[in-house]
Amino acid sequence: MNYSLFITGSPTASRACQTALDFAEAVVAHEQHGIQGIFFYEEAVAIANALAMPPRDECNIRAQWATFAKQHNIPLYVCIAAALRRGQLNQAEAKRHEVEHFNLADGFQLEGLGSLISLTLESDRVVRFN
Amino acid sequence: MSTLIYLSSSPYNGTALKEALDLALVFGTFEQAISIAITGDALALLIEEQAPSTRHGKHLHKLLDGLEFYDIEQVFVKATETSALPVSLWPGITALNTDAWLQMLDQHQHIYRF
Repeated sequence: MNYSLFITGSPTASRACQTALDFAEAVVAHEQHGIQGIFFYEEAVAIANALAMPPRDECNIRAQWATFAKQHNIPLYVCIAAALRRGQLNQAEAKRHEVEHFNLADGFQLEGLGSLISLTLESDRVVRFN
Repeated sequence: MSTLIYLSSSPYNGTALKEALDLALVFGTFEQAISIAITGDALALLIEEQAPSTRHGKHLHKLLDGLEFYDIEQVFVKATETSALPVSLWPGITALNTDAWLQMLDQHQHIYRF
């Protein structure tokens, strides 16, 4: 079965991003299942903040997602409107909004909601984590 | 394939409803079959003659009249909830009894809940 994950819960105020990664690891562990893509929306877009620094003795869920996605060639989409609203910009958006800094972590990409529609159409199941 | 945007969050308690309606409009823009269900705290979205300030949040009620331009023609509510409200609601809703509500949920392949 082909899955996509729709994650909306905050990486700090909920366990959504952590639970979703557990689920994703379980999916790819079975040959008959795969993951089409991951879409972060609402408070979950904070996952892609490169300036968030969890203590070294705690799980860095951002880094774990980036490593997992690279290993399995799974795109990590972050809703561009939700991200900009919450102060998360890539270099292009920083330039467009005429601010000096940007903070989108490597491995994540800003995308419109159209990418979520595509994932919905291309997947057998979309699983929400909040 | 049809998709349901299921709203139960208050329009004034965060950005969830704004971002849910954004998603509904994008589904409509992509010409996907899309419906909306409204229940619980989200019913406040439907109350007529509300006038939020910019500090309260975006005037989401005004978006309702534009749904038809995105081919979003079905906005469902529970009759048991709306009949108890002592206020006027946006007229474009379809009130369903409990059985019809459950049947409506069953008819959608994807449900996005906010």
